[in-house]
Amino acid sequence: MTTKDLIDKVGLRPLSTFEHRDVNGVFVSDMLSDVMAGAKSGNLWLTVQTHKSIVPAANLVDVAAIVVTGGKDVPQETVDLASKYNIAILVSDLPTFELVGKLYALGSFAR
Amino acid sequence: MAECLHQWTMTNVQFGFVVFEKCFHCNSLGTYFSVEDTPILGDKYREGDCYWSRVENAQSFRFDLECPLCGRRENFHELMGLMHCPGCPADCGVDAIRRKYEAERTWVLVAFGFIYKDKRGPLPQEKVDILTDYFNQRRDTTRSRIKIVSFDLIKDLSVCRGDFIHDVGMLSQEPVTERKPLF
Amino acid sequence: MDNEVGHPDRPLARGEAGSKGAAVEIRRIKDALDAVIIEADDNLEGTVDHIYASDLMSDVLAFGKPNSILLTGLATRQAVISAHMAEFKGVVFIRGKTPKDGSDHFARDHHLVLLSTHLDMYDACLRIESVKRGETPAAQPAAVAGGEELLLSRELVINGNDFASAGMVSTEVKSVLKTIGLDPKLVRRVAISTYEGEMNVVMHAKRARVALSVTPHIIEVVIADEGKGIPDVNLAMQEGYTTATEEMRAMGFGSGMGLPNIKKNADELLINSEVGRGTTLVMRFKI
Repeated sequence: MTTKDLIDKVGLRPLSTFEHRDVNGVFVSDMLSDVMAGAKSGNLWLTVQTHKSIVPAANLVDVAAIVVTGGKDVPQETVDLASKYNIAILVSDLPTFELVGKLYALGSFAR
Repeated sequence: MAECLHQWTMTNVQFGFVVFEKCFHCNSLGTYFSVEDTPILGDKYREGDCYWSRVENAQSFRFDLECPLCGRRENFHELMGLMHCPGCPADCGVDAIRRKYEAERTWVLVAFGFIYKDKRGPLPQEKVDILTDYFNQRRDTTRSRIKIVSFDLIKDLSVCRGDFIHDVGMLSQEPVTERKPLF
Repeated sequence: MDNEVGHPDRPLARGEAGSKGAAVEIRRIKDALDAVIIEADDNLEGTVDHIYASDLMSDVLAFGKPNSILLTGLATRQAVISAHMAEFKGVVFIRGKTPKDGSDHFARDHHLVLLSTHLDMYDACLRIESVKRGETPAAQPAAVAGGEELLLSRELVINGNDFASAGMVSTEVKSVLKTIGLDPKLVRRVAISTYEGEMNVVMHAKRARVALSVTPHIIEVVIADEGKGIPDVNLAMQEGYTTATEEMRAMGFGSGMGLPNIKKNADELLINSEVGRGTTLVMRFKI
């Protein structure tokens, strides 16, 4: 499954400019320290955080995309920084738990 | 015997807070790591001529890196956190390195040691290099790489406007929209 | 749920929970997550209408709906207080985190359930989602789950490196099981397995919570530690494999028989370990 497939199948809205890439799993956290400690390269990272520091955090651990849940407004400076580093910022109007339900239904990320 | 090429894994993770304190007498900054459960902003105490007041708590963690191949283990207790450099003053040592590396798709982050009365605590270069290796081992380096540099390169901390990869305002009951500059 | 979220003409309000599925019993959530009870009183029999997964307390207060359960990695009293203010029924701490700041007293006073699971946020959400869909999660073997009558449950704590008290928890488990009149041979197997698990915590972890549950058919002992984790569980299962220090071995511990011995004595042994986080052992014994 790629970021493009997810945008199409789950109805995520891309905000930044980026190259599509493979997604190999999901990591859910609103804490950057958790992401630094636990997210894996190629993961889809679900969070409600929108401060621009999510971009260097995502960059550091090489996640495939940041998905901002709950339909939050993402500040333009966050989007610009993500575009600069070729990081996908996608938005979902669903809260985190409901989005996990949708990803689960895709069948690609069950454990 | 050939030297071990180290495949680092993170271990001994300990959750806590990085506490930022300011002295409202001399305006100097101090930081330290705390494992307390419920730190309170605004706590004040006196130490000599300094009147420390807690101005920010960031949720963070401490960790060791261990190489399971050779058993070598390094703790990173001197590490306060990693910072993204937005390239503020053009004459800062970090910015020159950042521009050079970014041209090669290598993203630069600044490792900070702790600070006491505006003085920078030691952060051995070898540990900074191990951090660089560790984060590169965790990523697909055919796409891009990470380079971690020491905060010793920052020319003047007082004008630094970088963003820490820290968790602030997690416990706040109101959404935190603006982050205060810490320096 | 899918109809509701995917409808282009009627988008959901921001942050609004999309699931209005049937109520889920808190006990089923606990079972699906292999969770340890920190505080429950008799509130485990209640139900929740929504699941809210977040580490950001301002979001819990702004978007959380009454009658939810909070999943969070923020193990502090403020998380519990926020859940209470948002009229939630309980909090599940993920990745084996447990608050140590009096959260349990607050929860007891306000009739909140507090649980701790070794799972991460994504896995925890997945397991609950599969329960909501009426499926049996793959990683959930039929045992204490399934709403069996709970005859007895007990929560205990093991402290790492406390060799002076090593064995106290397994002794307690043994005497509790004896008093309810179980077969002494069975009690012995449970006690030995618990002792091996306890020694592993004393030697290698910071601390652990132990949950003992007894139903008419099963005795379950869950030891969830905060510790180094086991990098290679298969290797650790081999007899004689040990990472204990010389000192520990000089004291007669760490002969590398711990996990194999548990495997021998328990009818079922599940190990979930994450390096740098900790290890959870689930041991089950048929009555």
